[in-house]
Amino acid sequence: MGLTDEIFPKKNMEVNLNGFKLKSPILAASGTFGYADEYENYVNVSNIGAIVTKAISLKPRFGNEGCRLFETTGGLINRIGLENIGIDEFIEKKLPVLKEKNIAFIMNTAGSTFEEYTETARIAQNAGIKAIELNVSCPNVKEGCLEFGTNPDTLSYLTEAVRKVYKGFLIVKLTPNTNDIKALALAAEKSGADCISAINTLRGLGIKLEYLNNEFKKTMVQGGLSGKCIKPAALFMVKSITEAVKIPVIGIGGISTFEDVLEFFAAGAQAVQIGTENFTNPDITEKITLDLQNFLKKTGIETMDELKRKLK
Amino acid sequence: MRKGTVITNEKIAKDTFKIVFETDLKEAFAGQFVSILIPDKTLRRPFSISDFENGKITCLYKVVGEGTQYIKSLRKNDIIDYSGALGNGFNFSGKKTALLVGAGIGIAPVLYLKKYLDEKNIANFLIAGFKTEEEKVNGADKTVIGGSVLDIVPELIEKIKPDVIFSCGPLIVLKLISKIGENMGIETQVAMEKIMACHIGVCRGCVIPLKNGKNASVCKDGPVFDGRNILWG
Repeated sequence: MGLTDEIFPKKNMEVNLNGFKLKSPILAASGTFGYADEYENYVNVSNIGAIVTKAISLKPRFGNEGCRLFETTGGLINRIGLENIGIDEFIEKKLPVLKEKNIAFIMNTAGSTFEEYTETARIAQNAGIKAIELNVSCPNVKEGCLEFGTNPDTLSYLTEAVRKVYKGFLIVKLTPNTNDIKALALAAEKSGADCISAINTLRGLGIKLEYLNNEFKKTMVQGGLSGKCIKPAALFMVKSITEAVKIPVIGIGGISTFEDVLEFFAAGAQAVQIGTENFTNPDITEKITLDLQNFLKKTGIETMDELKRKLK
Repeated sequence: MRKGTVITNEKIAKDTFKIVFETDLKEAFAGQFVSILIPDKTLRRPFSISDFENGKITCLYKVVGEGTQYIKSLRKNDIIDYSGALGNGFNFSGKKTALLVGAGIGIAPVLYLKKYLDEKNIANFLIAGFKTEEEKVNGADKTVIGGSVLDIVPELIEKIKPDVIFSCGPLIVLKLISKIGENMGIETQVAMEKIMACHIGVCRGCVIPLKNGKNASVCKDGPVFDGRNILWG
């Protein structure tokens, strides 16, 4: 089921990210779109530029215990803890579905050690996976994959190590939980990343208080904040990164409308990922793709490059 | 997303309401739910289906927060943005006698199940429990006010000898029902509730641990589970 039977996106929506071609700059963000086939009741998945898979680790992960979600004003805190099926099951069960349905995808991958990252990347290379996104910025796992993403030297070492074993399109997804995003972006770029995506979730704490029988009942959920409320922070980070590096940047953070997408282009992004809004409106990726197409039609803008030039 | 049109939305007990909306949905089973978009909220809200006939979906809800306040504000002909019917419902195939337990607003999906069982001529008995008389929702064969439904479950089991217990309500009730079932060698099917984000199994936000060492998502693998498979904390 899709919003329209018309075949789109059209040619004028194509983007070329440093050699990696996408039929549209509208992507679905990791962790919010499963392995794509789950969304087939809501959108025509092949209309999306690419879907970024849920983070895949070397071994399956159970994720965190306890409450994993906390809704905030304009957003959501999650502490899923990278629950996933592991790369072996991904390759055995999910990859054939993605290939059969001709769904453009990027495999997001996370690890707890350097070796886990490189081994997963090596397996991805052997499986012919064309693009991976390194998740070096998940704030929700004890072993701290966030640590890989907050120190430029560590990030550089990791990116280089993955680059050595993985020849496909390598995206490094940066965390906003740093005071120098430019240094991280530069570290990824000089170590062989083809592209940067930003931002991952912001660290956040949700507190719910109830006063019952002369006592406060307190619920606290600490995790990663996403959703509409993080958009200004994401725009700032994307602009900072695009000013520092030459490689393309995929903007992520609180996108829920076509206008938001234009704002990320104005900040220098070459493409965008839509995340949390998929939960609120499961057909949002297709809706925004359609809005973009209609805008191009209305304005007569012929290529994404032309659109971005006008937004500069 | 699917759109529904509100037909009625009325108070049926203290803080408790019944909304009926018209949709083009072809089928919906007892134990399944719909997720409703709440303006300005990130998360849709799941509501069990309490009745379904010719596309008309009935949900019962207790007003507890902003989401249910919004649902309460809906009037005839207002549009509902919903997704569904979602999840796996109760499985009564091959069952001969069923005990149904609905605690509080947990009576909602059980009422729909009872209607099904009656139609299929499967013997059943529905016991419901509410904190106060004012909160009572009608439709049960027996209603407990103030106490716990659990107190009379063992004697009902002795009396009607069910081959399955279907239940929905607070977590502690479902846990204890499952224990009772396990001790007495009776299958239990419990409809679980959790805060959900995606509603289709992808985000892993609403998972519960199972005895087989795996996590199951309440939204997609459930919300109805065999009580014996859940790793109760």
